[in-house]
Order: sequence, then structure tokens, then C-alpha cells
Amino acid sequence: MTATTRREHDVAVIGGGLVGSAIAWGLARLGRRVAILDEGDVAYRASRGNFALVWVQSKGLGMPAYAGWTRRSSDSWQGFADTLRADTGIDVAFARPGGFTLALSERELETRVDQLKRLHNQPGVRELGYEVMDPTALSRFLPGLGPEVAGGVYCPLDGHANSPRLLRALHTALDRMGATFLQGATVTGIERRDGAFVVSRAGAAPVAAGKIVVAAGNGNKALGAMVGLDVPVRPQRGQIVVTEKVAPFLKHPIVTIRQTDEGGVMLGDSLEEVGFDDATRTGVTGTIASRAVRMFPMLGKLNVVRTWAALRVMTPDGFPIYMQSASHPGAFVATCHSGVTLAAAHALHLAPLIDAGGLPAEFDPFHGRRFDVPAPV
Amino acid sequence: MSDTSAGPASCALAIVGAGPAGMTAAITAAALGIDALVVDEQPAPGGQIYRATTRSPLQPGTILGDDYWSGRALADAFAASGAGYLPGTTVWSVAAADDGDGFEIGVSHEGAARLVRARHVIVATGALERPFPVPGWTLPGVLTAGAAQIALKSSGLVPEGRVALAGTGPLLWLLAAQLLRAGAPPTAILDTTPAGDFDAWRHAPAFLLSPYAGKGLSLIREVRASVPVISGVAGLRAEGDGRLHAVAFAAGGRERRMEVDALLLHQGVAPNINLALATRCRHRWDDAQLAFVPEIDAWGASSVAGIAIAGDGAGIGGAEAAAERGRLAALDAAARLGAIGEVERDRRAVAPRRALARALRGRAFLDRRFRPALADRVPSGDTIVCRCEEVTAAQIVEAVGIGATGPNQLKAYLRCGMGPCQGRLCGLTVTELIAEARGQSRDAIGHYRLRAPVKPLTLAELASMPATDADTRAVVRG
Repeated sequence: MTATTRREHDVAVIGGGLVGSAIAWGLARLGRRVAILDEGDVAYRASRGNFALVWVQSKGLGMPAYAGWTRRSSDSWQGFADTLRADTGIDVAFARPGGFTLALSERELETRVDQLKRLHNQPGVRELGYEVMDPTALSRFLPGLGPEVAGGVYCPLDGHANSPRLLRALHTALDRMGATFLQGATVTGIERRDGAFVVSRAGAAPVAAGKIVVAAGNGNKALGAMVGLDVPVRPQRGQIVVTEKVAPFLKHPIVTIRQTDEGGVMLGDSLEEVGFDDATRTGVTGTIASRAVRMFPMLGKLNVVRTWAALRVMTPDGFPIYMQSASHPGAFVATCHSGVTLAAAHALHLAPLIDAGGLPAEFDPFHGRRFDVPAPV
Repeated sequence: MSDTSAGPASCALAIVGAGPAGMTAAITAAALGIDALVVDEQPAPGGQIYRATTRSPLQPGTILGDDYWSGRALADAFAASGAGYLPGTTVWSVAAADDGDGFEIGVSHEGAARLVRARHVIVATGALERPFPVPGWTLPGVLTAGAAQIALKSSGLVPEGRVALAGTGPLLWLLAAQLLRAGAPPTAILDTTPAGDFDAWRHAPAFLLSPYAGKGLSLIREVRASVPVISGVAGLRAEGDGRLHAVAFAAGGRERRMEVDALLLHQGVAPNINLALATRCRHRWDDAQLAFVPEIDAWGASSVAGIAIAGDGAGIGGAEAAAERGRLAALDAAARLGAIGEVERDRRAVAPRRALARALRGRAFLDRRFRPALADRVPSGDTIVCRCEEVTAAQIVEAVGIGATGPNQLKAYLRCGMGPCQGRLCGLTVTELIAEARGQSRDAIGHYRLRAPVKPLTLAELASMPATDADTRAVVRG
């Protein structure tokens, strides 16, 4: 195969999941010729396995900038969804009715409230307007609540969306804007040649582009290294259970229970350090089911349609990494484990910065250098 | 056989399915002193082919044929075998145990779920009917030939009014003969078998030596003598407003339409691979059978150590082949469990291997002769493919255009295969449709990824499963 350095694309986005697609969408809307490089049908796809919350209340303890970035995305989400709908006719079912965290013991509640207090006490964190509720107050919002619920936290900024439809809407819009989808081939190398990046792919033609955005989830570690970026991500397994469709009963998303606009009830989730293993385990899905039934006893009679596991893309501190390569200017990486929540920010705020050529100082907290280990003295 | 509905907590060998393969495997294993447990969703043994053979309201005689009643002898031997038996019990999951000691089988009986520990598993889940997605196939009044046969075997029921049987394959003719003998002859048979496949006849000599040839040909003769048969049928459509009224089709160069009360569709069977796929056994596309089949060795051992697959679930071979494959899988299980040595296993396998070869003798001919037409497997336009989510062929082709490289990305785009059946019904159609749209092989496109539960399970049942401290810590925060 002969490598071409003819620059057919302004930007090549590596990764066709929610992070890559949202950034690609933002760049394509600015008139850029975008290529999206993606793997095949079976891959570790966090974008197809997520819980689809657009969540604010727990984000940012330890990094105030993350709380602000999350809030900014949440505030931009309705406009983002409206634009997608206008462009594609696809309703991604975004709603921000306010969300809950429920506790099944006093201890769980105390832990939760303590975390929120500490999050709020950080400098620069805006008021979330959260409210701690007892079971009586919760029952006004959450009919069918079980007697074991000890209390909960409400935050009016929390919402959810239909994430498979979000992926389809982004891909449909990208297709209509003339973006190029190149699938089914793994990226094997990235090099600079004649002022362009040339991305080589296994068994497929190389792709040349002026800029590179690495947004391939757990693949970012290897891909980042190709452009001089250290991206310390690891897979963290999360398991989810979904029930058959039922009449709407739950307006508000709960951090572990939400009813989709289609009627199914999604139940999450787990945090497991098991490497690249996305098998489900009955003990874990059973525990998820058990907690859900204790929170809403009427769920017990519903049929389980599917259980699944997907791999989150985790950094050592759990916060995103956004940075440009010093050795390969024009190569960026974007990685996070909240591809739904942050989709609006990636599409509307991050993409224009990448297009302009650099990330401003306010993005410094997200730089990967925060993980650099100082040399021993 | 002991009816252990409450059931043991563990066994050496778990066998999923009590059709010819499962029953024979159990009989073989029990005779070698192995603690075997058969789990089956039906209330009585027999599988699909011998469904209700021990309790059908029909009397032994002519309606269902001698082959059907021969299942009773097998069921009797199974009953006397000493193997454990959980009837009316679904298997919704098979997974390697966390401690690495064998497998945990998730079973559900009358709304109560539990786990059974087994050191070795034989999956004998049989076959499913190949989908036949024609316009209007979701109308009330349209059902599969298999569903009609279940009603006949279990309850002695036949469809009422004018009944058309449409499609291809041995089961179509068998059902026609059974309905005929039950006094409810179909109004017509609309034969969609593509004409002129001369290559099939290359395999005919082997078929003529097979046990099926004589029976099959006399069956077809019997039906043709009493039921009008229209050959070369294409472009089948079910018509009706809220309910089936007519079936339309092209035959002999012209469009035809026939008013009917019931339309029974059938175009062959395919291995039921749902449990094996969910257990992550490797599969490959078998172009002769137009289906995914598990990768297995000569003993039925799958790519997952400790799991074997026997019977039609390992590739369509019919009841006699299924029984022999069940026997071979049980012999291998016995060797792996230490009940017999490998030399003894091989010695005992000689006769079953010979019988298996004999039983499979006509298979290549049947696969070719009754190979359904591409147009009958790959629908177009507004024809529904995924019944659960009402996704059409045109929508799927459009989704392929924006980037669906395979069935799993298609789910994300269209919810296709995300309904209650989880793609168990539309899987073959979807794979073939995407393969045709992308110009790629079926193997390259692949199948939906299936996950537990592979059978219905309530959330309360799942919630009742035991959990370790690690499981709890993975979920509970704070």
C-alpha cells in the first residue's frame, strides 16, 4: 500500500464513540473536513454500554475545574440536543428534571452528604442547589419508593438522555455534513510527514490530516504514545441491568436507576478493576438488582431483558485529560469516562478550541502532566 | 430419572435440554456412574422433535408418524437412567465460577431462580426455525410451521379454516402430512424451494442411502396426492388489515392471490446458539447450512474448556445424529471427569461414530436441495426484520450507510435486537442483510453479541442470587 501525504482532511479524529463523534461534529460544523477512524462491530465500546446520565451532583470533588466543565456541559445540553434534532430529525430525549441519589442506610446517606459538602467547599465551585431529603420528601417525587430507603439527595441540574440515539444523531449529522467514516481498521501508527499527520491502519489505506484528535477511549494510551502523549488510562468495568419496557413511572433519573424514554428501566452499576474483561457476573448483577428492588419493590416483577458490562475509561484521579502534544503540535487527546454528560461541552466548547489550535490556561488542570511523578531528590 | 424440582446444588455434568441429544447424553453418562443433571424448559422430555412424546393427547398411531413415537422409547430409557432431571426449568446463564471450579448454571423454575454448580456442561439446546421475513409476516394469522406443530403435538390442535403452508424444507412436508392425517389438510402448499439447483443432485447418491430418503420421498408423495402444491413460489406477501386475509405471490410467471385464514411459514431450521453465544463459545458461519455454528471438535467440545455442544445446536443433523452426538459428548465428558480413560472413551465411541456418519449421510443433499432463496432470507423495503422493535429492512440498510458495520452497532442506532427476544429471532436476517448491504462475508459481519439472561428472568429472581463481599463492594458506594 502506498502512503499518501495528500492532505484530504483537515482533522482526523481517532475514535467514533461519543467523545470522538461529538468533537468531530463540532469541527464539521465549523466547516472542517473531518475523517473519523473507528474500529469494527466488536470493540470495547464504552459509548454503547453507558448509563446515559447527564450528571452533575457528584462531579468534581478533588478538581473544581471538572465541576465547572461538567456544569458548563449540562447547561449547554438542551441547545445541543435541539441542534441535533433540527439537523437530523432525531430526538435524543434529553431531559433535566433533576436527579436523585438514594441511600439504603444512614451510613450511605452520611457518606454521600459529606462528599457533597466537601465538593462545595472547594474554591470556585458554583452552588449546585442540592437538597438532602428524608423518605417522606422523596416520596413526593418518587412514587413507589420502598421502606428501606433511608434518604437521598436531590440536585436540580441532573438529567439524562438516550445515548444510543445520541450516537446515531451524531453519526447521521456527520454523514450529512460530508464527514468521512473509516471503519473496521485498527490504527497502527501516526507520523508527521510534509507538515501533515499520516495515520496508518491495519489492512487499509493510510489517512492524512492536518490535525489529529485521539479520542479512542481505552485505546488512547497506545495511540497517545504515537504522538508523544502520555495518557494513563485503564479500563474499569461497570455492569448494568435493563428490564422490559413498562409504562412511565419514574420521571427523575436516580444515579443507579432510570427509566428510558422508551420505557425500559436501566439499573446500574459497578466499579471493578479487572482489566480488559467485559464479562458479566451474576453476583454483581444480582446485587444491582437487589438494591434496585429494595429502592422500588414493584420493579421485582419485571423481566430482565439483558445484563451487560462495559469498560469505563479511567484516569488515575478519575478526571478527564485534554491536552495538545508538545512534541507533535496539532495532535490532541481527549479522554473521560462521562462521554454523555460531556458531549455538549466536547461538541460546542472543546472542538472550537482544537480548531483554533490550542487549549487556553483554564484547561491546565486537565493536562496529563498532573500525573507526572517528580524525580526522587 | 428422579424429578428434582427443588433440585441439587451441584452435579458433575449438567446437560441443558432434554431432546434426543440431551437424553442420550444423560443415559450414557449415568450408565458410567456420572452424577448427571438434565435441565429442560419443557414439562416433559422430548425436545422439539419428540415434544410431549410421553404425554401427547394424540394416541400412538399414524398422525405424528413412527419417528415421533420412537421418542417415547428414548424418553423411557431416560426415565430409567438414574440421571437427575429438572423439567419446566429454564437455564438463563452459564458462566465460569468465580473460584475457577467449574461452572455456575443459572436456572429458573416457577419464578424462583438459583445457581447449580457443575464441573462440565453439555449444551443440547437444539434448533430454531429460520426467520422468514416477508411483507405482512407480523399479522395475526401468520405463524411458523413449528408453532403449528407444537400445538398439534402438545394439544392435538390444528389451525382452523383455509390454511396455506409456505416455504421449503423437510419440516414443511412433515407438517403437511401430519395435518392431513389429523383430518385438517392444508388448502395449499406454496413451495418456495428455488428450482434448478443441479448441484444438489451431486449429493443425491449419499442421500438415497440415508435413512431419510425413503421416508421423505413417501411423505412428499402422500402430501402431493391430497394437497395442491404450487411450485416455484417467490415474492410471498401476507395481506390483511389488522388480520391475515390473503397470501399473494408470484408463480409460473404471474401474480397470484389466495384468500386464507392461516399462513404457516417455514424455511428450515438453524442451530439454537443463544446459550453457547452468551457463554462465549466461538462460532463460525456455515454456508451450507446458512447459519452460525459453534466451533467444536469431534467430541462436541467447544472453544470454552468444559463446555460441549451436542445435537442440532452444533449444526443441523436431525434427531438420529443428535442422539449420537449426545452420546459422544457424554463419553468425552466421562473421560474429562475421570470416570473412564481416553482409551475406553475411544473404544466406546466407535459405534456411535459409525452411526453418526450414517445419520448425516443425506445432510449435504438436504442442505442444498432445500436451501432457501436469498430473496426469502434478505428482505427489503418496509418488511419488518426486528419484530420486537419494529425495525424495517430499509432502516437497516440506511443505518449501514451512516456507519453500522455490524449487528452490534446497528443496535445502538436502531434498537434492532434490543427488545425482549434480544435478537434471538432476527439475528440471522440482520447478519445476512448487513453482509449483503456491505458486500462482506457473513463471517466478517458476525452475530449479535448475546448476554445473560438468555431466557426470561424477573428482577426479583436476579436479586435473589448469592453475592460475595467483593460483589457487594463493587456496587455499594459509601
